[in-house]
Amino acid sequence: MKFDLVIAGVGGQGNILASQVVAKCAMDAGYNVVNTETKGAAQRGGSVLSHVRFGDGEIFSPLVPVGQADVLLGFEPLEALRYINLLNRDGKFIINTAAVPTILANMKVDEYPSTEQIMATIKTKGLSGYFVNATKVAKELGNVLLTNVVMLGAFTAVSDILPPDVIVTKLLTMVDAKFHQDDSRAFEFGRNLIRGDVKS
Amino acid sequence: MQNEFMLGNEAIARAAAEAGVKVVAGYPGTPATEIVDLCGGYPGVYAEWATNEKHAFEVATAASLTNQRAMAVMKHNGTNAAADFLMHVNFTGIRAGLVLITADDPGGLSSQCEEDTRILVHSYAHLPMFDPSSVQEAYAMTKAAFELSEQTELVFALRPVMRINHAGGMVQTGEMAPQNRSAEFIIDRKRFVMSAVVEKESGGELRPKMRHRWLNNKQTELKSLMEDSPFNWLEMTPGETGFIGCGIGYAFLKEAECIHGAKLPILKLSTLPLPEGKVIDFIRGLKKVVVFEEVEPVVEKLIKQLCFEHKIVLEVLGRSGYLPQEGELSANLVLTAVEAALADQPYPAPEQGRYVSARTRTQCPGCSHRGLLYALKEVVGKNGGVVTGDIGCHDAGTFEPMKLQATIYCMGSSIPMAHGIKKAGFDKPVYALIGDSTFFHNGLTGLASAIYNGGDITVVIAYNSTTAMTGFQPHPGSPNNLNQPMTPIEPGAVAAAMGARVFYCNPYNVEETIQVINEATAAKGVRVVIAQALCYLNFGREGKISYTPRTVAVDEAVCNGCGLCVRTFGCPAISLIGNKAFIEPSSCNGCGVCVSVCKKGAIK
Repeated sequence: MKFDLVIAGVGGQGNILASQVVAKCAMDAGYNVVNTETKGAAQRGGSVLSHVRFGDGEIFSPLVPVGQADVLLGFEPLEALRYINLLNRDGKFIINTAAVPTILANMKVDEYPSTEQIMATIKTKGLSGYFVNATKVAKELGNVLLTNVVMLGAFTAVSDILPPDVIVTKLLTMVDAKFHQDDSRAFEFGRNLIRGDVKS
Repeated sequence: MQNEFMLGNEAIARAAAEAGVKVVAGYPGTPATEIVDLCGGYPGVYAEWATNEKHAFEVATAASLTNQRAMAVMKHNGTNAAADFLMHVNFTGIRAGLVLITADDPGGLSSQCEEDTRILVHSYAHLPMFDPSSVQEAYAMTKAAFELSEQTELVFALRPVMRINHAGGMVQTGEMAPQNRSAEFIIDRKRFVMSAVVEKESGGELRPKMRHRWLNNKQTELKSLMEDSPFNWLEMTPGETGFIGCGIGYAFLKEAECIHGAKLPILKLSTLPLPEGKVIDFIRGLKKVVVFEEVEPVVEKLIKQLCFEHKIVLEVLGRSGYLPQEGELSANLVLTAVEAALADQPYPAPEQGRYVSARTRTQCPGCSHRGLLYALKEVVGKNGGVVTGDIGCHDAGTFEPMKLQATIYCMGSSIPMAHGIKKAGFDKPVYALIGDSTFFHNGLTGLASAIYNGGDITVVIAYNSTTAMTGFQPHPGSPNNLNQPMTPIEPGAVAAAMGARVFYCNPYNVEETIQVINEATAAKGVRVVIAQALCYLNFGREGKISYTPRTVAVDEAVCNGCGLCVRTFGCPAISLIGNKAFIEPSSCNGCGVCVSVCKKGAIK
């Protein structure tokens, strides 16, 4: 067994925490785990890509090769587009549709494609997955910083590689107790997003 | 022994602590930075941030000469700063185990260049090196390096790449083995005084030649050590085309082999010098080998040389032309090369990727550098001056939208370059923009040189009290070193003592900053402007900030949508929505600098 997860997002979205939760759960489950992050100046709004790889056997490259990821979580649509080629043909993507424009796009130096354009481009690649507005769900729960937890919940609804209760329990051990209630709700809302119980 | 998940840098620090390292010194640089901080957390280990890599290496070497295991930590271009010392310590050798961590950044993901320090440390200084292929190996190699360094009396270097330093993996750790050695310094001038001294005992030879011979003779010992090293091995399987994976190149090769789906003849190499016997065992009978290494064709050329010496006819392919000569390897790149080589095809030309709007680095919302960059841009916009740049967060002032600094080379270059432009006869004002950590790193001597040579420049020092770019390490201008409180050395006081005229401003106040820079420009000699304000991101967490936070918003009735605030200022919190500027409240840190930018007075 081998499982490759990539999380593409922007600095400050809690990408690394989400990847660490999955890595730790995989470790607890007895898998061999390798991970890394590709980041520019993450705290300064750069692009952040987390790689989490685990399996029964030895894992060599810390980076997920192109076309190998089983799941791609896109915390931001442009970042998902940037790294969509990492996903394997049978893999699943979950892409948060809430855009974070680039500074260059803000300055009109670059064009930031519309979410519809991004969705259309990804659809032409013959890959399957979900477009959800995790940011909106997080905001409705009262805190945009819950976006990563919503996405983590959504992840457990598309992959049964690690049990959802194990993931949420691990997450709670890694955050301050005052966030436990919100995080648990955000996680459940994320699961429901995929299961279709909550419209986005 | 236990299995722990750790980052490469944690594994290196852990291994050094287990090996009984006593003194660790470094200068921050991605991807090696965390090692020094982590070493400082182990009981009994003295760790410090030196002002630059050369001094870190000197401190560590002196500790080794005092019979204590030591380690110097730096990134690749930091090793350049230490190269002068490197080219002497190789000839003297050392006493207690001394390990040099020289971390490379293939692809230049977080660097000014993608230099391969194997050339500097091994090809040039003839010192032994380990090139780890995994986090576990980085750990094992660090421990082995201390033992072998002591055994051979040579500095041993570990050359991890970004994908090792910043990768996490399972590591089998061991027990702490404190060395408990007495700190004795034995004077041995024949070894530790590098000078053109006549050596009576060797028939009047000069010492540099004698020590050179000593180092050359060491190579035989090293080659035999590497022959038995557990870090090199063969994975034999029938075939005419073999593949050599060096360091992380081996990890990518094994990944490619998994995807390829059939076993390949593989030689894994992680040491310099090479285990020549193993290499010959591998290549005999092969028609072709492809060498995967980061970044330059170092091993490839050594293998070509070996083939020549042993009259072996073999096609040796790699970074000297078959593979891309620049940039980082990847499993996909290696897979493509493996399949092309097996089919006797050239490496295919890479497809041009489609550009997706980049997320360029910029200053954080609330960063004091933005105010300084903006003010300096206003000044040179009027007087036609040129700004030479330096390394640090402010270097993003060269990108859109500031596009201020005209040059960036290496640590400390801004000051001598500004001086050179002026001495070449350039008739408009010249400014050197440098951060405080960089000023202490390699700016002091440049400033002294410019003053001594009657310079006519304005040096602007962005004094934010931390090395922010690498994650807020302290420097001599900071109130601490690692966890120790210190009395900061104020850069302005240093400059004044050298004879510069010194001016002060708070860069959060744009008008004041413009006025102070103009005043400095009008003065004679070398002028130094200290733009003093704490790094918001670092000190803001402790509630220490150098401005009075306020709520900043756009008055839509006044905003005419000209976009000046977006086009010239580039704060991530400001964007144009429709034809009005908008300040995102969740991003804005209330520094209020943008208020000065809007000519209409719409930002309040």
